[in-house]
Amino acid sequence: MAPPIPESSTELTVGVIVAVTVFLATSVLLGFFMRKKAKSFDEWLVGHGDIGPFVTGFALIASYLSGWAIFGNAGLGYAYGWSGSWLIGTICIMGMALCLVIGYRMRRYVALGARTVPEMLKVRFESRAVQFLAGLAMIVLLIVYSVGQYKAMATVWTITTNTFFQWSLIATALLVLVYIAVGGYTGTQWVSCFQGVLLTVIGWTLGIVAMIWAGGPMEIAGAIRTETFTKPGGENTTIPLDGYTLPLPPPSGLAFAGVDWLGVSATIFMFLFMATGFPHNIARFLGTRKITKREYWVMLLILILGGLTPLWIGIVGFAARAVWGNTLMGLKYDFGGRVYGDSSATLVSMSNGVFLASLFAAAVFAASVATLAGMVMIMATNITRDFIHNIRPEISQKRMLWLTRLMLIPFIIIPLWWTLTSTPPILSEFMAGSAVAQAGIFFFVVGVSMYWKRATKWGAITTIVYGLILTILHPNAYGKIVGLYHWGYWALLLMFGSALVYLFVSLATNPLSEDKLEKLFLQKRGG
Amino acid sequence: MKAYVLLAFMILCILLVPITAYYLGEWYAYWGHALLAIIFGILTVFVKTRYYWEED
Repeated sequence: MAPPIPESSTELTVGVIVAVTVFLATSVLLGFFMRKKAKSFDEWLVGHGDIGPFVTGFALIASYLSGWAIFGNAGLGYAYGWSGSWLIGTICIMGMALCLVIGYRMRRYVALGARTVPEMLKVRFESRAVQFLAGLAMIVLLIVYSVGQYKAMATVWTITTNTFFQWSLIATALLVLVYIAVGGYTGTQWVSCFQGVLLTVIGWTLGIVAMIWAGGPMEIAGAIRTETFTKPGGENTTIPLDGYTLPLPPPSGLAFAGVDWLGVSATIFMFLFMATGFPHNIARFLGTRKITKREYWVMLLILILGGLTPLWIGIVGFAARAVWGNTLMGLKYDFGGRVYGDSSATLVSMSNGVFLASLFAAAVFAASVATLAGMVMIMATNITRDFIHNIRPEISQKRMLWLTRLMLIPFIIIPLWWTLTSTPPILSEFMAGSAVAQAGIFFFVVGVSMYWKRATKWGAITTIVYGLILTILHPNAYGKIVGLYHWGYWALLLMFGSALVYLFVSLATNPLSEDKLEKLFLQKRGG
Repeated sequence: MKAYVLLAFMILCILLVPITAYYLGEWYAYWGHALLAIIFGILTVFVKTRYYWEED
Protein backbone atom coordinates (compact mmCIF):
# COMPACT_ATOMS: atom_id res chain seq x y z
CA MET A 1 0.00 0.00 0.00
CA ALA A 2 1.28 3.45 -0.93
CA PRO A 3 2.34 5.69 1.96
CA PRO A 4 0.01 8.65 2.56
CA ILE A 5 0.78 11.98 0.94
CA PRO A 6 2.48 13.99 3.71
CA GLU A 7 1.08 17.23 5.05
CA SER A 8 2.67 20.18 6.73
CA SER A 9 3.24 20.08 10.49
CA THR A 10 4.44 22.53 13.12
CA GLU A 11 7.73 20.64 13.37
CA LEU A 12 8.27 20.87 9.61
CA THR A 13 7.31 24.55 9.49
CA VAL A 14 9.88 25.34 12.18
CA GLY A 15 12.48 23.18 10.40
CA VAL A 16 11.97 24.94 7.05
CA ILE A 17 12.04 28.40 8.61
CA VAL A 18 15.27 27.58 10.48
CA ALA A 19 16.95 26.03 7.41
CA VAL A 20 16.02 28.90 5.09
CA THR A 21 17.01 31.49 7.72
CA VAL A 22 20.41 29.86 8.30
CA PHE A 23 20.97 29.66 4.55
CA LEU A 24 20.07 33.32 3.99
CA ALA A 25 22.08 34.49 7.00
CA THR A 26 25.17 32.64 5.71
CA SER A 27 24.69 34.19 2.27
CA VAL A 28 24.46 37.71 3.69
CA LEU A 29 27.49 37.14 5.95
CA LEU A 30 29.55 35.98 2.97
CA GLY A 31 28.44 39.10 1.07
CA PHE A 32 29.59 41.33 3.97
CA PHE A 33 32.83 39.38 4.28
CA MET A 34 33.65 40.28 0.67
CA ARG A 35 32.71 43.95 0.94
CA LYS A 36 36.38 45.05 0.92
CA LYS A 37 36.66 43.70 -2.62
CA ALA A 38 33.84 45.92 -3.87
CA LYS A 39 34.92 49.45 -2.94
CA SER A 40 35.20 51.07 -6.37
CA PHE A 41 32.73 50.67 -9.25
CA ASP A 42 35.22 48.57 -11.22
CA GLU A 43 35.83 46.28 -8.25
CA TRP A 44 32.13 45.98 -7.59
CA LEU A 45 31.58 44.90 -11.22
CA VAL A 46 34.32 42.27 -11.62
CA GLY A 47 36.26 42.08 -8.34
CA HIS A 48 40.05 41.74 -8.43
CA GLY A 49 40.25 39.02 -11.09
CA ASP A 50 41.50 36.58 -8.46
CA ILE A 51 38.69 34.04 -8.21
CA GLY A 52 39.87 30.44 -8.46
CA PRO A 53 38.47 27.33 -10.17
CA PHE A 54 36.58 25.93 -7.17
CA VAL A 55 34.54 29.10 -6.57
CA THR A 56 34.02 29.75 -10.29
CA GLY A 57 32.95 26.13 -10.91
CA PHE A 58 30.37 25.95 -8.14
CA ALA A 59 29.14 29.51 -8.83
CA LEU A 60 28.53 28.42 -12.42
CA ILE A 61 26.58 25.40 -11.16
CA ALA A 62 24.43 27.61 -8.93
CA SER A 63 23.70 30.25 -11.55
CA TYR A 64 22.88 27.60 -14.18
CA LEU A 65 20.68 25.34 -12.05
CA SER A 66 17.75 27.57 -11.31
CA GLY A 67 14.98 27.00 -8.79
CA TRP A 68 12.89 25.28 -11.41
CA ALA A 69 15.71 22.84 -12.23
CA ILE A 70 16.18 21.83 -8.61
CA PHE A 71 12.51 21.15 -7.99
CA GLY A 72 10.67 21.52 -11.32
CA ASN A 73 12.65 18.60 -12.77
CA ALA A 74 10.89 16.24 -10.40
CA GLY A 75 7.60 17.56 -11.78
CA LEU A 76 8.77 16.76 -15.31
CA GLY A 77 9.74 13.21 -14.35
CA TYR A 78 6.51 12.74 -12.44
CA ALA A 79 4.14 14.10 -15.09
CA TYR A 80 5.83 12.94 -18.31
CA GLY A 81 7.79 9.82 -17.30
CA TRP A 82 10.91 9.10 -19.37
CA SER A 83 9.94 11.69 -22.00
CA GLY A 84 10.35 14.34 -19.29
CA SER A 85 14.08 13.52 -19.32
CA TRP A 86 14.72 15.82 -22.25
CA LEU A 87 13.74 18.92 -20.30
CA ILE A 88 15.28 17.54 -17.10
CA GLY A 89 18.55 18.03 -18.95
CA THR A 90 20.21 14.62 -18.85
CA ILE A 91 22.88 16.01 -21.20
CA CYS A 92 23.32 19.40 -19.51
CA ILE A 93 26.98 18.58 -18.74
CA MET A 94 27.67 18.89 -22.50
CA GLY A 95 26.52 22.52 -22.55
CA MET A 96 28.33 23.29 -19.29
CA ALA A 97 31.59 21.90 -20.69
CA LEU A 98 31.20 24.14 -23.74
CA CYS A 99 30.54 27.12 -21.45
CA LEU A 100 33.71 26.24 -19.52
CA VAL A 101 35.99 26.33 -22.56
CA ILE A 102 34.23 29.26 -24.31
CA GLY A 103 33.57 31.44 -21.27
CA TYR A 104 37.14 31.58 -20.03
CA ARG A 105 38.00 34.00 -22.86
CA MET A 106 35.90 36.65 -21.09
CA ARG A 107 39.07 37.37 -19.09
CA ARG A 108 40.75 38.72 -22.21
CA TYR A 109 37.96 41.25 -22.68
CA VAL A 110 38.09 42.23 -19.01
CA ALA A 111 41.79 43.00 -19.55
CA LEU A 112 40.72 45.21 -22.47
CA GLY A 113 38.29 47.18 -20.31
CA ALA A 114 35.02 45.22 -20.46
CA ARG A 115 33.14 45.03 -17.17
CA THR A 116 29.84 43.50 -18.29
CA VAL A 117 28.82 40.93 -20.92
CA PRO A 118 27.35 43.58 -23.30
CA GLU A 119 30.47 45.68 -22.80
CA MET A 120 32.51 42.72 -24.00
CA LEU A 121 30.52 43.06 -27.24
CA LYS A 122 31.34 46.75 -27.39
CA VAL A 123 35.04 45.88 -27.18
CA ARG A 124 34.68 43.01 -29.67
CA PHE A 125 32.78 45.02 -32.31
CA GLU A 126 33.77 48.58 -31.34
CA SER A 127 30.06 49.36 -31.31
CA ARG A 128 28.06 51.09 -28.61
CA ALA A 129 24.88 50.13 -30.46
CA VAL A 130 25.59 46.41 -30.00
CA GLN A 131 26.28 46.97 -26.30
CA PHE A 132 23.02 48.90 -25.89
CA LEU A 133 20.90 46.40 -27.84
CA ALA A 134 22.41 43.36 -26.09
CA GLY A 135 21.78 45.04 -22.72
CA LEU A 136 18.16 45.69 -23.68
CA ALA A 137 17.63 42.10 -24.88
CA MET A 138 19.12 40.77 -21.64
CA ILE A 139 16.78 42.87 -19.52
CA VAL A 140 13.72 41.68 -21.48
CA LEU A 141 14.70 38.00 -21.33
CA LEU A 142 16.06 37.92 -17.80
CA ILE A 143 13.26 39.83 -16.11
CA VAL A 144 10.68 37.25 -17.16
CA TYR A 145 13.06 34.41 -16.24
CA SER A 146 13.41 35.90 -12.74
CA VAL A 147 9.71 35.31 -12.06
CA GLY A 148 10.34 31.54 -12.20
CA GLN A 149 12.83 31.79 -9.33
CA TYR A 150 10.32 33.45 -7.01
CA LYS A 151 7.63 30.96 -8.04
CA ALA A 152 9.91 28.03 -7.15
CA MET A 153 10.55 29.45 -3.68
CA ALA A 154 6.86 30.30 -3.17
CA THR A 155 5.74 26.78 -4.09
CA VAL A 156 8.13 25.00 -1.74
CA TRP A 157 7.34 27.40 1.08
CA THR A 158 3.57 26.94 0.66
CA ILE A 159 3.67 23.13 0.56
CA THR A 160 6.06 22.67 3.48
CA THR A 161 4.81 25.33 5.88
CA ASN A 162 1.19 25.72 4.78
CA THR A 163 1.56 29.44 5.46
CA PHE A 164 1.48 32.51 3.24
CA PHE A 165 4.66 32.71 1.16
CA GLN A 166 4.53 36.49 0.64
CA TRP A 167 6.63 37.52 3.64
CA SER A 168 9.21 34.81 3.04
CA LEU A 169 9.72 36.08 -0.50
CA ILE A 170 9.88 39.72 0.54
CA ALA A 171 12.47 38.90 3.25
CA THR A 172 14.48 36.81 0.78
CA ALA A 173 14.40 39.59 -1.82
CA LEU A 174 15.64 42.14 0.74
CA LEU A 175 18.51 39.92 1.88
CA VAL A 176 19.56 39.15 -1.70
CA LEU A 177 19.53 42.88 -2.37
CA VAL A 178 21.78 43.47 0.63
CA TYR A 179 24.40 40.87 -0.24
CA ILE A 180 24.67 41.92 -3.89
CA ALA A 181 24.81 45.63 -3.00
CA VAL A 182 27.48 45.10 -0.35
CA GLY A 183 29.53 42.26 -1.81
CA GLY A 184 29.31 43.17 -5.49
CA TYR A 185 30.66 40.65 -8.01
CA THR A 186 33.10 38.90 -5.65
CA GLY A 187 30.52 38.61 -2.88
CA THR A 188 27.91 37.26 -5.29
CA GLN A 189 30.42 34.78 -6.72
CA TRP A 190 31.35 33.42 -3.27
CA VAL A 191 27.72 33.27 -2.15
CA SER A 192 26.84 31.44 -5.39
CA CYS A 193 29.67 28.98 -4.74
CA PHE A 194 28.25 28.24 -1.28
CA GLN A 195 24.79 27.83 -2.82
CA GLY A 196 26.17 25.56 -5.58
CA VAL A 197 27.80 23.23 -3.03
CA LEU A 198 24.60 23.20 -0.95
CA LEU A 199 22.24 22.38 -3.81
CA THR A 200 24.58 19.72 -5.22
CA VAL A 201 24.92 17.88 -1.91
CA ILE A 202 21.21 18.07 -1.11
CA GLY A 203 20.12 17.24 -4.68
CA TRP A 204 22.25 14.09 -4.76
CA THR A 205 21.12 13.09 -1.26
CA LEU A 206 17.43 13.52 -2.02
CA GLY A 207 17.75 11.61 -5.32
CA ILE A 208 19.50 8.63 -3.70
CA VAL A 209 17.09 8.60 -0.74
CA ALA A 210 14.08 8.78 -3.11
CA MET A 211 15.36 5.86 -5.18
CA ILE A 212 15.71 3.69 -2.08
CA TRP A 213 12.36 4.93 -0.70
CA ALA A 214 10.58 3.86 -3.91
CA GLY A 215 12.07 0.34 -3.81
CA GLY A 216 15.04 0.75 -6.16
CA PRO A 217 15.52 1.44 -9.88
CA MET A 218 13.86 -1.77 -11.15
CA GLU A 219 10.75 -1.12 -9.08
CA ILE A 220 10.55 2.46 -10.39
CA ALA A 221 10.99 1.41 -14.05
CA GLY A 222 8.37 -1.32 -13.63
CA ALA A 223 5.87 1.14 -12.14
CA ILE A 224 6.39 3.73 -14.91
CA ARG A 225 5.69 1.00 -17.51
CA THR A 226 2.15 0.69 -16.15
CA GLU A 227 1.44 4.44 -15.90
CA THR A 228 -0.38 6.60 -18.43
CA PHE A 229 -0.33 10.35 -18.95
CA THR A 230 -2.65 12.29 -16.65
CA LYS A 231 -3.64 15.86 -17.44
CA PRO A 232 -3.15 18.57 -14.81
CA GLY A 233 -6.29 18.41 -12.71
CA GLY A 234 -6.45 14.61 -12.66
CA GLU A 235 -8.08 13.54 -15.97
CA ASN A 236 -6.36 10.33 -17.08
CA THR A 237 -5.55 9.31 -20.69
CA THR A 238 -4.44 6.07 -22.37
CA ILE A 239 -1.07 7.51 -23.54
CA PRO A 240 1.67 5.38 -21.89
CA LEU A 241 4.60 7.02 -20.07
CA ASP A 242 7.09 4.26 -20.87
CA GLY A 243 8.74 5.87 -23.93
CA TYR A 244 11.20 8.69 -24.51
CA THR A 245 8.60 10.50 -26.58
CA LEU A 246 5.06 11.23 -25.43
CA PRO A 247 2.62 11.64 -28.35
CA LEU A 248 0.27 14.16 -26.77
CA PRO A 249 -2.66 15.16 -28.98
CA PRO A 250 -2.30 18.29 -31.15
CA PRO A 251 -2.51 21.21 -31.14
CA SER A 252 -1.85 21.88 -27.42
CA GLY A 253 0.26 18.70 -27.06
CA LEU A 254 2.71 19.94 -29.68
CA ALA A 255 3.90 22.60 -27.22
CA PHE A 256 5.53 19.81 -25.14
CA ALA A 257 9.21 19.36 -26.02
CA GLY A 258 9.16 15.56 -25.81
CA VAL A 259 6.12 15.11 -28.05
CA ASP A 260 8.21 13.68 -30.94
CA TRP A 261 11.82 13.31 -32.13
CA LEU A 262 11.85 16.75 -33.68
CA GLY A 263 11.08 18.28 -30.29
CA VAL A 264 13.70 16.01 -28.75
CA SER A 265 16.33 17.24 -31.25
CA ALA A 266 15.47 20.82 -30.32
CA THR A 267 16.01 20.14 -26.61
CA ILE A 268 19.42 18.56 -27.34
CA PHE A 269 20.57 21.71 -29.14
CA MET A 270 18.96 23.90 -26.48
CA PHE A 271 21.06 22.22 -23.78
CA LEU A 272 24.19 22.48 -25.93
CA PHE A 273 23.79 26.24 -26.41
CA MET A 274 21.99 27.33 -23.24
CA ALA A 275 24.77 27.25 -20.64
CA THR A 276 26.93 29.55 -22.77
CA GLY A 277 23.96 31.63 -23.90
CA PHE A 278 22.86 32.53 -20.35
CA PRO A 279 24.50 35.92 -19.67
CA HIS A 280 24.46 35.22 -15.90
CA ASN A 281 26.51 32.05 -16.60
CA ILE A 282 29.15 33.55 -18.86
CA ALA A 283 29.49 36.47 -16.42
CA ARG A 284 30.89 33.97 -13.87
CA PHE A 285 34.19 34.20 -15.79
CA LEU A 286 34.51 38.00 -15.56
CA GLY A 287 36.44 37.81 -12.29
CA THR A 288 38.26 34.50 -12.79
CA ARG A 289 42.01 34.39 -12.32
CA LYS A 290 44.39 32.62 -14.71
CA ILE A 291 43.58 28.91 -14.65
CA THR A 292 46.14 26.15 -15.18
CA LYS A 293 45.45 23.05 -17.25
CA ARG A 294 45.17 20.98 -14.09
CA GLU A 295 42.66 23.44 -12.63
CA TYR A 296 40.64 23.19 -15.83
CA TRP A 297 40.16 19.49 -15.10
CA VAL A 298 39.17 20.32 -11.51
CA MET A 299 36.51 22.67 -12.87
CA LEU A 300 35.22 19.96 -15.19
CA LEU A 301 34.95 17.58 -12.23
CA ILE A 302 32.92 20.19 -10.34
CA LEU A 303 30.67 20.68 -13.36
CA ILE A 304 30.13 16.91 -13.64
CA LEU A 305 29.22 16.62 -9.94
CA GLY A 306 26.88 19.61 -10.10
CA GLY A 307 25.58 18.75 -13.57
CA LEU A 308 24.30 15.38 -12.38
CA THR A 309 22.11 17.07 -9.75
CA PRO A 310 19.20 17.71 -12.18
CA LEU A 311 19.19 13.99 -13.01
CA TRP A 312 18.87 13.09 -9.33
CA ILE A 313 15.98 15.53 -8.98
CA GLY A 314 14.33 13.95 -12.04
CA ILE A 315 14.64 10.58 -10.28
CA VAL A 316 12.72 12.01 -7.32
CA GLY A 317 9.81 12.61 -9.73
CA PHE A 318 10.02 9.06 -11.10
CA ALA A 319 10.07 7.73 -7.54
CA ALA A 320 6.97 9.77 -6.62
CA ARG A 321 5.16 8.40 -9.67
CA ALA A 322 6.13 4.85 -8.75
CA VAL A 323 4.88 5.24 -5.18
CA TRP A 324 1.83 7.49 -5.51
CA GLY A 325 0.74 6.81 -9.10
CA ASN A 326 -0.99 9.76 -10.74
CA THR A 327 -2.56 11.07 -7.49
CA LEU A 328 -0.48 14.27 -7.40
CA MET A 329 -1.89 15.37 -10.78
CA GLY A 330 -5.20 15.89 -8.98
CA LEU A 331 -3.76 17.83 -6.03
CA LYS A 332 -4.38 21.53 -6.04
CA TYR A 333 -2.06 23.63 -3.98
CA ASP A 334 -3.24 27.05 -4.96
CA PHE A 335 -0.87 29.95 -4.39
CA GLY A 336 -1.99 32.11 -7.25
CA GLY A 337 -0.82 29.40 -9.62
CA ARG A 338 -1.71 25.72 -9.39
CA VAL A 339 0.86 23.06 -8.52
CA TYR A 340 0.32 19.45 -9.58
CA GLY A 341 3.29 17.19 -10.37
CA ASP A 342 5.64 20.03 -9.39
CA SER A 343 4.84 19.24 -5.78
CA SER A 344 6.49 15.81 -6.07
CA ALA A 345 10.07 16.69 -4.96
CA THR A 346 8.82 18.57 -1.92
CA LEU A 347 6.39 15.81 -0.95
CA VAL A 348 9.03 13.09 -1.36
CA SER A 349 11.41 15.09 0.84
CA MET A 350 8.63 15.48 3.43
CA SER A 351 8.04 11.70 3.33
CA ASN A 352 11.65 11.17 4.33
CA GLY A 353 11.70 13.25 7.47
CA VAL A 354 11.70 16.84 8.67
CA PHE A 355 15.47 17.17 8.38
CA LEU A 356 15.62 16.27 4.68
CA ALA A 357 12.53 18.33 3.85
CA SER A 358 14.00 21.38 5.59
CA LEU A 359 17.32 20.97 3.79
CA PHE A 360 15.54 20.53 0.47
CA ALA A 361 13.58 23.78 1.02
CA ALA A 362 16.91 25.52 1.69
CA ALA A 363 18.35 23.96 -1.51
CA VAL A 364 15.47 25.30 -3.61
CA PHE A 365 15.99 28.75 -2.08
CA ALA A 366 19.74 28.41 -2.79
CA ALA A 367 19.22 27.55 -6.46
CA SER A 368 16.60 30.26 -6.93
CA VAL A 369 18.52 32.96 -5.11
CA ALA A 370 21.79 32.22 -6.93
CA THR A 371 20.19 32.47 -10.37
CA LEU A 372 18.17 35.51 -9.31
CA ALA A 373 21.24 37.31 -7.94
CA GLY A 374 23.23 36.65 -11.11
CA MET A 375 20.40 37.95 -13.28
CA VAL A 376 19.63 41.00 -11.13
CA MET A 377 23.27 42.03 -11.19
CA ILE A 378 23.34 41.70 -14.99
CA MET A 379 20.17 43.78 -15.40
CA ALA A 380 21.24 46.55 -13.01
CA THR A 381 24.59 46.90 -14.74
CA ASN A 382 22.82 46.83 -18.12
CA ILE A 383 21.16 50.09 -17.09
CA THR A 384 24.17 51.82 -15.56
CA ARG A 385 27.23 50.48 -17.36
CA ASP A 386 25.68 49.55 -20.73
CA PHE A 387 23.18 52.41 -21.09
CA ILE A 388 24.17 55.38 -18.90
CA HIS A 389 27.96 54.98 -18.94
CA ASN A 390 27.72 54.17 -22.65
CA ILE A 391 26.13 57.58 -23.32
CA ARG A 392 27.84 59.59 -20.58
CA PRO A 393 31.24 58.03 -19.75
CA GLU A 394 32.27 61.14 -17.79
CA ILE A 395 30.02 60.31 -14.79
CA SER A 396 32.12 59.58 -11.70
CA GLN A 397 32.80 56.00 -10.58
CA LYS A 398 31.38 56.70 -7.14
CA ARG A 399 28.11 57.96 -8.54
CA MET A 400 27.87 55.00 -10.93
CA LEU A 401 28.41 52.56 -8.06
CA TRP A 402 25.59 54.01 -6.02
CA LEU A 403 23.34 54.26 -9.05
CA THR A 404 23.95 50.56 -9.82
CA ARG A 405 23.17 49.62 -6.22
CA LEU A 406 19.97 51.64 -6.55
CA MET A 407 19.08 49.91 -9.82
CA LEU A 408 19.18 46.53 -8.06
CA ILE A 409 15.94 47.50 -6.32
CA PRO A 410 13.57 47.60 -9.35
CA PHE A 411 15.02 44.40 -10.78
CA ILE A 412 14.46 42.60 -7.49
CA ILE A 413 11.00 44.08 -7.06
CA ILE A 414 9.42 43.77 -10.54
CA PRO A 415 9.52 39.94 -10.78
CA LEU A 416 8.59 39.76 -7.08
CA TRP A 417 5.58 41.97 -7.70
CA TRP A 418 4.52 39.74 -10.60
CA THR A 419 4.81 36.67 -8.40
CA LEU A 420 2.85 38.27 -5.56
CA THR A 421 0.08 39.59 -7.77
CA SER A 422 -0.24 36.50 -10.01
CA THR A 423 1.87 36.18 -13.11
CA PRO A 424 0.22 37.33 -16.34
CA PRO A 425 -0.50 34.15 -18.38
CA ILE A 426 1.49 35.20 -21.45
CA LEU A 427 4.44 36.16 -19.25
CA SER A 428 4.74 32.63 -17.93
CA GLU A 429 4.93 31.35 -21.50
CA PHE A 430 7.65 33.87 -22.32
CA MET A 431 9.43 32.67 -19.20
CA ALA A 432 9.63 29.16 -20.68
CA GLY A 433 10.71 30.61 -24.03
CA SER A 434 13.32 32.88 -22.48
CA ALA A 435 15.82 30.03 -22.00
CA VAL A 436 15.66 29.04 -25.68
CA ALA A 437 15.97 32.68 -26.71
CA GLN A 438 19.04 33.24 -24.53
CA ALA A 439 20.55 30.02 -25.96
CA GLY A 440 19.79 30.97 -29.56
CA ILE A 441 20.86 34.59 -29.38
CA PHE A 442 23.79 34.80 -26.99
CA PHE A 443 25.54 31.51 -27.76
CA PHE A 444 26.40 33.02 -31.12
CA VAL A 445 26.49 36.74 -30.38
CA VAL A 446 28.62 36.37 -27.23
CA GLY A 447 30.19 32.89 -27.32
CA VAL A 448 31.03 32.44 -30.98
CA SER A 449 32.00 36.11 -31.46
CA MET A 450 34.87 35.66 -29.01
CA TYR A 451 36.40 33.04 -31.34
CA TRP A 452 35.20 33.89 -34.87
CA LYS A 453 37.16 36.76 -36.38
CA ARG A 454 34.75 37.20 -39.26
CA ALA A 455 31.76 38.06 -37.00
CA THR A 456 30.49 41.61 -37.45
CA LYS A 457 28.40 44.04 -35.46
CA TRP A 458 25.62 43.80 -38.06
CA GLY A 459 25.61 40.04 -37.68
CA ALA A 460 25.22 40.50 -33.92
CA ILE A 461 22.52 43.19 -34.19
CA THR A 462 20.34 41.27 -36.67
CA THR A 463 20.68 38.07 -34.62
CA ILE A 464 19.46 39.82 -31.47
CA VAL A 465 16.49 41.36 -33.32
CA TYR A 466 15.61 38.05 -35.03
CA GLY A 467 15.85 36.12 -31.74
CA LEU A 468 13.58 38.56 -29.90
CA ILE A 469 10.94 38.42 -32.64
CA LEU A 470 10.98 34.61 -32.57
CA THR A 471 10.67 34.65 -28.76
CA ILE A 472 7.34 36.43 -29.04
CA LEU A 473 6.22 33.70 -31.46
CA HIS A 474 6.46 30.94 -28.80
CA PRO A 475 3.70 28.35 -29.53
CA ASN A 476 1.85 29.22 -26.31
CA ALA A 477 2.25 32.99 -26.79
CA TYR A 478 1.68 34.56 -30.22
CA GLY A 479 3.02 31.70 -32.37
CA LYS A 480 -0.51 30.43 -33.04
CA ILE A 481 -1.22 33.54 -35.08
CA VAL A 482 1.36 32.43 -37.66
CA GLY A 483 0.65 28.70 -37.29
CA LEU A 484 3.60 27.90 -35.00
CA TYR A 485 2.09 25.23 -32.74
CA HIS A 486 5.06 22.89 -32.49
CA TRP A 487 7.65 23.67 -29.78
CA GLY A 488 10.38 21.80 -31.65
CA TYR A 489 9.88 23.74 -34.89
CA TRP A 490 9.80 27.00 -32.96
CA ALA A 491 12.95 26.26 -30.94
CA LEU A 492 14.91 25.04 -33.98
CA LEU A 493 13.71 28.05 -35.96
CA LEU A 494 14.92 30.34 -33.19
CA MET A 495 18.30 28.70 -32.57
CA PHE A 496 19.32 27.77 -36.12
CA GLY A 497 17.62 30.82 -37.59
CA SER A 498 19.78 32.91 -35.24
CA ALA A 499 22.86 30.94 -36.34
CA LEU A 500 22.10 31.48 -40.04
CA VAL A 501 21.30 35.18 -39.62
CA TYR A 502 24.52 35.63 -37.62
CA LEU A 503 26.57 33.74 -40.21
CA PHE A 504 25.22 35.25 -43.41
CA VAL A 505 24.87 38.84 -42.22
CA SER A 506 28.41 38.69 -40.80
CA LEU A 507 29.77 37.35 -44.08
CA ALA A 508 27.89 40.02 -46.03
CA THR A 509 29.25 42.91 -43.97
CA ASN A 510 32.72 44.19 -43.13
CA PRO A 511 34.55 42.99 -40.01
CA LEU A 512 36.95 45.12 -37.99
CA SER A 513 40.31 45.79 -39.58
CA GLU A 514 43.09 43.22 -39.11
CA ASP A 515 45.14 45.38 -36.76
CA LYS A 516 42.14 45.89 -34.50
CA LEU A 517 41.34 42.17 -34.53
CA GLU A 518 44.93 41.32 -33.70
CA LYS A 519 44.65 42.53 -30.12
CA LEU A 520 41.46 40.47 -29.61
CA PHE A 521 42.62 37.23 -31.20
CA LEU A 522 45.99 36.07 -30.00
CA GLN A 523 47.78 33.19 -31.65
CA LYS A 524 46.91 29.77 -30.20
CA ARG A 525 49.57 27.76 -28.42
CA GLY A 526 49.63 24.00 -28.32
CA GLY A 527 50.23 22.23 -25.01
CA MET B 1 45.57 12.01 -32.24
CA LYS B 2 44.41 14.93 -34.35
CA ALA B 3 41.94 17.39 -32.89
CA TYR B 4 39.39 16.77 -35.64
CA VAL B 5 39.20 13.07 -34.74
CA LEU B 6 38.28 14.07 -31.20
CA LEU B 7 35.76 16.57 -32.53
CA ALA B 8 34.20 13.72 -34.55
CA PHE B 9 33.90 11.68 -31.33
CA MET B 10 32.22 14.68 -29.68
CA ILE B 11 29.66 14.82 -32.49
CA LEU B 12 29.17 11.06 -32.12
CA CYS B 13 28.34 11.58 -28.43
CA ILE B 14 25.58 13.99 -29.43
CA LEU B 15 24.21 11.67 -32.13
CA LEU B 16 24.12 8.73 -29.71
CA VAL B 17 21.79 10.60 -27.33
CA PRO B 18 18.52 10.08 -29.28
CA ILE B 19 19.76 6.69 -30.54
CA THR B 20 20.18 5.32 -27.01
CA ALA B 21 16.80 6.74 -26.06
CA TYR B 22 15.14 5.00 -29.02
CA TYR B 23 16.88 1.62 -28.80
CA LEU B 24 17.67 1.22 -25.10
CA GLY B 25 15.11 3.34 -23.22
CA GLU B 26 14.42 3.55 -19.47
CA TRP B 27 17.43 3.70 -17.10
CA TYR B 28 19.94 2.63 -19.75
CA ALA B 29 19.13 5.74 -21.78
CA TYR B 30 18.80 7.99 -18.72
CA TRP B 31 22.26 7.19 -17.32
CA GLY B 32 23.62 6.58 -20.81
CA HIS B 33 22.90 10.24 -21.60
CA ALA B 34 24.79 11.29 -18.49
CA LEU B 35 27.72 9.10 -19.50
CA LEU B 36 27.76 10.49 -23.05
CA ALA B 37 27.64 14.01 -21.62
CA ILE B 38 30.59 13.27 -19.32
CA ILE B 39 32.61 11.80 -22.23
CA PHE B 40 31.73 14.88 -24.30
CA GLY B 41 32.88 17.12 -21.44
CA ILE B 42 36.19 15.25 -21.05
CA LEU B 43 36.85 15.46 -24.80
CA THR B 44 35.98 19.17 -24.82
CA VAL B 45 38.45 20.00 -22.05
CA PHE B 46 41.08 17.69 -23.56
CA VAL B 47 40.81 19.44 -26.96
CA LYS B 48 41.01 22.82 -25.24
CA THR B 49 44.01 22.01 -23.05
CA ARG B 50 45.90 19.90 -25.63
CA TYR B 51 45.29 21.73 -28.92
CA TYR B 52 43.82 25.17 -28.21
CA TRP B 53 45.45 26.19 -24.95
CA GLU B 54 46.07 29.90 -24.74
CA GLU B 55 48.27 31.83 -22.38
CA ASP B 56 47.53 35.38 -21.26
